Amino acid sequence: MSERLKSTLFAALTLVMAVALIVLVATNETPDDRVERIGALIKCPVCQGEAIGDSPAQMATDMMTLVEERVASGATDEEIIAELLGSFSGALLLDPPTSGTTLALWLAPLGALALGITVVVWWKVHPGRPVSEDEPIQNRRRTLIGALILIGGFVTIVVVAGTMLQDRASPNAGAADVNVENLDDVSNETMEAVIAANRDDPQINGMQLALAERYFEEGDYRSAFPHYFDVAQSGTATDPEAVTALIRLAWMAYDGNGEVETAITLFDQALAISPDSEAAQYLKGQVLWCGAGEHEEASDLFRLVLDNEGLDPSTRREVEADLELVTSGEGCA
Amino acid sequence: MRGGALKWTGLGIAAAAVIFAVVLASRFGTDPGLVESPLLGEPAPTLELPMLDDSTMFATSDLTGSVTVVNFFASWCPECRAEHADLVATAEAFKDRGVQFVQISYSESRDASIAYLDEAGRSESTIYLADPGSRAAIAYGVFGIPETFFLDASGTVVGKIIGEANAFILGATLDTILAGDVPGQKITGDTQQQPDD
Repeated sequence: MSERLKSTLFAALTLVMAVALIVLVATNETPDDRVERIGALIKCPVCQGEAIGDSPAQMATDMMTLVEERVASGATDEEIIAELLGSFSGALLLDPPTSGTTLALWLAPLGALALGITVVVWWKVHPGRPVSEDEPIQNRRRTLIGALILIGGFVTIVVVAGTMLQDRASPNAGAADVNVENLDDVSNETMEAVIAANRDDPQINGMQLALAERYFEEGDYRSAFPHYFDVAQSGTATDPEAVTALIRLAWMAYDGNGEVETAITLFDQALAISPDSEAAQYLKGQVLWCGAGEHEEASDLFRLVLDNEGLDPSTRREVEADLELVTSGEGCA
Repeated sequence: MRGGALKWTGLGIAAAAVIFAVVLASRFGTDPGLVESPLLGEPAPTLELPMLDDSTMFATSDLTGSVTVVNFFASWCPECRAEHADLVATAEAFKDRGVQFVQISYSESRDASIAYLDEAGRSESTIYLADPGSRAAIAYGVFGIPETFFLDASGTVVGKIIGEANAFILGATLDTILAGDVPGQKITGDTQQQPDD
């Protein structure tokens, strides 16, 4: 047997033994080895690039415990990984999958190698031609083209990166966006929750009044009352807000409970803030006329309302009709 | 001829390099926690977890039939503290419409969570649960807190808020679900992954 043959046989034997050893190790994997191997594949969701098998975070430790349990119960690697990825998404895989969009990452080195070989072969097959007289001009043109390509690539990267960063800087874009300006789309419950959670915010008076008005128009005085009361008592409500709340409280006291005196007191509080409030004047006149039989005081108030030249025509007709009735001694309708 | 071929080869390589760099740059720095939850549109995980206060077991499957809000919280999370009053207010405001709030303690001891709720206040209608072994957090794929999931009456996950929520966002999301629509996922701000983040 020649020396060369001996060397070849020795190399072949070594290779066979190495393969056998690898197969032996791979097929005799203990459960702990499996847990460790799977733990090395899954990224800890609350860490920066660490595998769950390497991280001391509680979430990672708990995930490793889950992997141990699944291995002990006989689940396959695929089942265990699918269970974890099913709730977290593929973002938890430390190695990108060799399918879908991430396939390009695996193929890119092969592509680069093939491209390099192609370029080298092309060079060998097509040797350079002799240098011509206009070579310097052609070189300048090539340099210019190369520079343009570089600048174009750089600008593209900057624009795309800028767009991406801008997208991340405005995280509020989402399916649940709501137009805060338009309260018509917001339920009573949502407004109640916002008001309850922001009682100390002076700007909440507007929403509280809007909700109270909604209840008032539905005839739900019980739900409207606490909101009007809060606005009327609030030291931060604007004058128009406070006046509206007081007028509504006054009307509800009369219309809901027949409390004439309370209503008159509340109307007077509104008129103390805004003496020219036509709503307060007219409704106080109504209560005096209908609730207390005070025809003269009521007619004075109705006349006061009619003195306003800018009064809405339909309101004017209504007040004029009431004035005619009250001055003729009629009871209210 | 050779010059033209070389030029086009160079152009092709440069274009490929730019496209590859742009693809990589588009993902660079992206928080994997901001990907859309694979649970959206899927049945919510069914779990049996101990009640935070008395350790009796509670099966989340009992909630099927109600629109349910599942919120993960911890006392060490500033955003959770900031949204707590809004969760309580929204739970109370929507309880008469059959909406059930569930808050699950995340990565902290039961005693710490109880002490926090004693301090911050509880909603009488909310179910507070412990999560030993992070089984609920794993099943829901929680990357950080606060995270809030919305389940429709059939038990399907139809919405998720990543970051601090407020009463307006919570209420508007519930309005959407109660109207039969799907709110989807919304990112409102930062989340905390671990204590001392």
